Amino acid sequence: MNSGIDLQGSFVQTLQDFGLSIGLAKAIWLPLPMLLMIIGATVGVLVVVWLERKISAAAQQRIGPEYAGPLGVLQPVADGIKLVFKEDVIPAKADPWLFTMGPVLVVVPVFLSYLIVPFGQNLVVTDLNVGIFLWISLSSIAPIGLLMAGYASNNKYALLGGLRAAAQSISYEIPLALSVLAIVMMSNSLSTVDIVQQQSGYGILGWNIWRQPAGFLIFWIAALAECERLPFDLPEAEEELVAGYQTEYAGMKFALFYLGSYVNLVLSALVFAILYLGGWEFFIPLDHLANWIGVPDTTPWLQVLTASLGIIMTLVKAYFLVFIAILLRWTVPRVRIDQLLDLGWKFLLPVSLANLLITAALKLSFPIAFGG
Amino acid sequence: MFKILKQVQDYAQESWQAAKYIGQGLSVTFDHMQRRPVTVQYPYEKLVPSERYRGRIHYEFDKCIACEVCVRVCPINLPVVDWEFDKQAKKKKLNHYSIDFGVCIFCGNCVEYCPTNCLSMTEEYELASYDRHELNYDSVALGRLPYKVTQDPMVTPLKEFAYLPKGEVEPHGLATGAQRAGKRPEDILQEIEAAKPKEEAKAE
Repeated sequence: MNSGIDLQGSFVQTLQDFGLSIGLAKAIWLPLPMLLMIIGATVGVLVVVWLERKISAAAQQRIGPEYAGPLGVLQPVADGIKLVFKEDVIPAKADPWLFTMGPVLVVVPVFLSYLIVPFGQNLVVTDLNVGIFLWISLSSIAPIGLLMAGYASNNKYALLGGLRAAAQSISYEIPLALSVLAIVMMSNSLSTVDIVQQQSGYGILGWNIWRQPAGFLIFWIAALAECERLPFDLPEAEEELVAGYQTEYAGMKFALFYLGSYVNLVLSALVFAILYLGGWEFFIPLDHLANWIGVPDTTPWLQVLTASLGIIMTLVKAYFLVFIAILLRWTVPRVRIDQLLDLGWKFLLPVSLANLLITAALKLSFPIAFGG
Repeated sequence: MFKILKQVQDYAQESWQAAKYIGQGLSVTFDHMQRRPVTVQYPYEKLVPSERYRGRIHYEFDKCIACEVCVRVCPINLPVVDWEFDKQAKKKKLNHYSIDFGVCIFCGNCVEYCPTNCLSMTEEYELASYDRHELNYDSVALGRLPYKVTQDPMVTPLKEFAYLPKGEVEPHGLATGAQRAGKRPEDILQEIEAAKPKEEAKAE
């Protein structure tokens, strides 16, 4: 089975042909995908911010940003530049170290999680064998940063927002992890590439969404709560808490929180696409189609086509989910803190446990369909 | 045993119902996305204020008899009428008149009660200034005519909803000369004028 385009292999091979040692060639390769991923994530955020503003406007029969660039596409860039040039204020009675560390601790793990997001068989920064587990563990660092920011601000609203963020993240991580566990059980692997591989072969019918109807709903609800999106945006509920843990932040530090929340949204959508919507797979199985037509796997144009189609499909699926999240934002009212914890502990947790048990039972009884 | 089964069934039913309602809500939001925006892009487009709009007050100094009725009917006695008695003419002589629009609530009582009609409401509403004292208009400032949206070459005037022709909901791209449903005040006046001679003839 040919694994498609291997950029790293050909890059290292080319450098070796120039006479470099293999170690040096790999060292030169290393920063490239990381840099690409950071740039990609940032551009993805700009797109999401623009989409959020345009779709929100459309849902409320407004026009939205219009004058900065064609259709206002440069508006998020303008916002970003404004935030960069703003004065960086640290309140007089705040703890300067914790205050500065907070946003960093929130943003860095989110960007780190992009390590495991695959856009194709070899189009991934690292194919870790703990893959999806890395994402779950990294996402539990963020609440520490939020708590830090809330506590260091020396402001009652910020503290309340930080506490709420921590409570919310901790309680929704469990159903999230349990629904991911059900997927992992079916794929026999934690690696994101293996999870997508296991869904391939049958086109849209092979995707995990059909085998995990309860799991994907739980995952999506928990992911929205992790991203602090409406209806779970209690930590920054402006009617009660001004802006939650962000209240005292301005300029670049605020921009980091803002960036972090949107990167997290895109990341959750990408992970959802990988876990439930077949990652980079097209709606119909392309390699089978190529076999029927009689085009061999190793044809260069086919490889380029499948690779670019893979990237496009992953992004299309992710942005479709982002669209759903934005639409939900204007549909569902915010839940109260007691309702939030109720939903997390009394509904999602037992349902996800039951889902896990049922998946295990199905895996034992129908090993063909549920990845025995 | 059966009680717990019923509880589970009820709970599942409730969850299903909640999911159904969220789905309905999503379809409503989705439907709104394909509707036309209602935005009036303010500095470039402005609504034409209705004829009963209560904007900045216009004042004619020469008509004023300094009776101070406007002050008496004002909820906060706002207009400042500075007059002195001219003994030779045996008349009040008006020196200054001013209204502070930073305090005025635009209720229109002064306009309603002015015996000489020297006060009137204009359609001007853009009163923003850098200093609140600039809002204290004296008789000269009060005597200025308002800018009309329809005469400003920089502005696209848009009709308000009630002034659109029958069946229209969109003020953008309206045909020139399109009129609202029903008769206009001047038409009604003309009809009354036309009907008058007949009635007089009948009375005779």
